Amino acid sequence: MHAVVCVKQVPEQNSVKITPDKKVDASGINPIINLFDEYAIEEALQWAEKSNGQVTVISLGSDDATDSLKKALAMGANEAVLISDAALADVGAQGAAKVVAAAIKKLGNVDIVFCGKQSTDDETGQFGPALARFLGWPQLTYVFKVHELTASSIVVDRALEDTLETVESSLPVVVTAVKDLNEPRYPSLLKIRKVSKQPIPTWGLSDVGLSVGDLGGTIKISDRVPPPPRPSGEMISGDVQTQVKALVQKLVESQVL
Amino acid sequence: MIDWTANYGFFLNEEHAMLRKTVRDFAEKEVAPYIQEWDRKGASHDAGMAEHMIPVIKRMGELGFLGVCIPQKYGGAGFDYLGLAVVCEELERVDTTLRVILSVHTGLNSLAVFQWGNEEQKQKYLVPQAKGEKIAAYCLTEPNAGTDVAGMQSTAVLEGDHYVLNGEKTWISLSDLADHFLVVAYTDKGKKQRGMTAFIVERSFEGVETTPIHGKLGVRAGNTGSVVFKNVRVPVANRLGDEGEGFKIAMTALDNGRYTVASGATGLIQAALEASLKYSKERETFGVPIGNHQLVKRMLSHMILNLETSRMLCYRAGWLKNQGIRNTRETTLAKWHATVESFNAANDAIQIHGAYGFSDEYPVERYLRNSRGAVIYEGTRELQELLQADFALEERSYKALRCELPAYDEAAWNE
Ligand SMILES: Cc1cc2nc3c(=O)[nH]c(=O)nc-3n(C[C@H](O)[C@H](O)[C@H](O)COP(=O)(O)OP(=O)(O)OC[C@H]3O[C@@H](n4cnc5c(N)ncnc54)[C@H](O)[C@@H]3O)c2cc1C
Repeated sequence: MHAVVCVKQVPEQNSVKITPDKKVDASGINPIINLFDEYAIEEALQWAEKSNGQVTVISLGSDDATDSLKKALAMGANEAVLISDAALADVGAQGAAKVVAAAIKKLGNVDIVFCGKQSTDDETGQFGPALARFLGWPQLTYVFKVHELTASSIVVDRALEDTLETVESSLPVVVTAVKDLNEPRYPSLLKIRKVSKQPIPTWGLSDVGLSVGDLGGTIKISDRVPPPPRPSGEMISGDVQTQVKALVQKLVESQVL
Repeated sequence: MIDWTANYGFFLNEEHAMLRKTVRDFAEKEVAPYIQEWDRKGASHDAGMAEHMIPVIKRMGELGFLGVCIPQKYGGAGFDYLGLAVVCEELERVDTTLRVILSVHTGLNSLAVFQWGNEEQKQKYLVPQAKGEKIAAYCLTEPNAGTDVAGMQSTAVLEGDHYVLNGEKTWISLSDLADHFLVVAYTDKGKKQRGMTAFIVERSFEGVETTPIHGKLGVRAGNTGSVVFKNVRVPVANRLGDEGEGFKIAMTALDNGRYTVASGATGLIQAALEASLKYSKERETFGVPIGNHQLVKRMLSHMILNLETSRMLCYRAGWLKNQGIRNTRETTLAKWHATVESFNAANDAIQIHGAYGFSDEYPVERYLRNSRGAVIYEGTRELQELLQADFALEERSYKALRCELPAYDEAAWNE
């Protein structure tokens, strides 16, 4: 089995600050692997281990996204590819999916692609479905359990808003992972030592056979505002009886209860 | 937010950065959420032996932290000695008890076996310790002998192919959890320091008994206790080094243990600083965040100065270890400075937090209590001060050792 995992490097959420000129303050950002992608990596590793398979991680991003790829390698992935090109700076989810689909076709012999259900920075949730469309493969979104993965088929549970669904699909397929699909492992210290010096191949747009014209629309962010600060809490004083009474009353008033 | 660990590229590389992230992730996910509860539990007089630490130590072993700087052929992860500092910084940034494990298990015990042990001893003891399958402790201090090591009373008498060990060690970290003890005792009391010998003693040997100490000011989430040896028969094969080398072994072990303590204290200063910066932005008095007041700024600035000087002193000591250069002077300087300043940083962190800092709802009072021990153990503040002057006045110098701590050699560590 050859699994590809799509990994996006995103800012850790509480590390993002917006500058007065509406830019993201890059100095304070702590870059991490998108939370949902960590589950995707772990799931791919577990199934690859069972079948003696291969895991390749792909990231589309700036050069420093190699940090996330190296972490995935230290977790146990076999290969990594960075897709980085100045022309991709403002690419949206659709364009990104098109480029990654081309990269996956270039790799060839891929049986399954795992990605997170969405990224914690842009939160569009479009990447996985769009990738499946560009590859022409079935998609299994919001997967919270993989029951079975064979050379030709997969059985998963999908967590939908008000239903749980068990679905079977043929391969190749695109799977998007939700939180708690598994427990992502820590990088291995031995592998950290190996991968820290390992060069990671970088592909530009032309390496995957695309040009700027193929990307479709680009996205420009016209305004950025930080979320309003949370109003400060209210302390309820008195003995336990009084406190509980006052608390319940407030919860009823605010229609929580 | 400033990354306090950035811009140390002249000592650290990408490997260390990945190691740091992994250890931080572990400590923040698997220990930080429970530490307040464990620390509170440890304050009670029937706290037991900190059993909650057993799975934590096991996990640290599986992840390779406990053998971080041990060569791969001995079960370690093969990082250099700076890697050990990084692990200690990140562990103590969350809680001192985590770093104490590295200090006694890795710094004081495993590295001593690595430096002084024969091949058989390394296979039998170092390998399972580096993998974290067995836990190790270091027994030097006795009820009547701490700083004055020569005042110890434990004895080991050779009888055929065994030594018979008798004595009591106290204030031993991990006493109740450890499988292996590095013990120093007199084989010839008349020769004073030259009459001491080191032994590897297993808990399973008959006559080894341990009891936890309760009522500690700090490191409450961890285990500290006494170890009594009553006619324990220790095979000659378990003598570490030669007869009479025990004092040297104990002191070189401290060169490594103190390095872990200093690095950990650096992590504690960082934790105190981070907590203080956060609070300084949140808390308002007289209509402005308290961080706007100059006297608060001064406390923050001092923490920063001491964080960075401690870190640099530690990395220099680690760099010397990597080169295979003796570093007692540099290591004790780092240990003295970092531990004293970690106490001061925690103290100021409480000040910045006002009354809230006086409560265990915030972590800073725990930092203060935890930092205090390191000003005493592995050589008191006074001992480190004396050492500095002794070196400067040429009253102390290095004598060649039969076994030096091997310089870091990447190829050899990867074998
Ligand atoms: C939490 C904790 C964990 C510990 N873990 C271990 C462990 O794992 N293994 C182990 O072997 N020990 C351990 N110890 C013991 C520790 O190493 C000793 O407490 C330390 O060496 C000091 O010895 P002491 O307590 O007997 O103090 P003493 O030696 O009695 O010293 C008392 C005071 O006198 C001062 N003093 C002594 N001699 C001089 C001098 N010549 N000049 C100036 N001042 C002097 C000291 O600085 C100190 O202030 C631990 C201690 C603590 C608190």
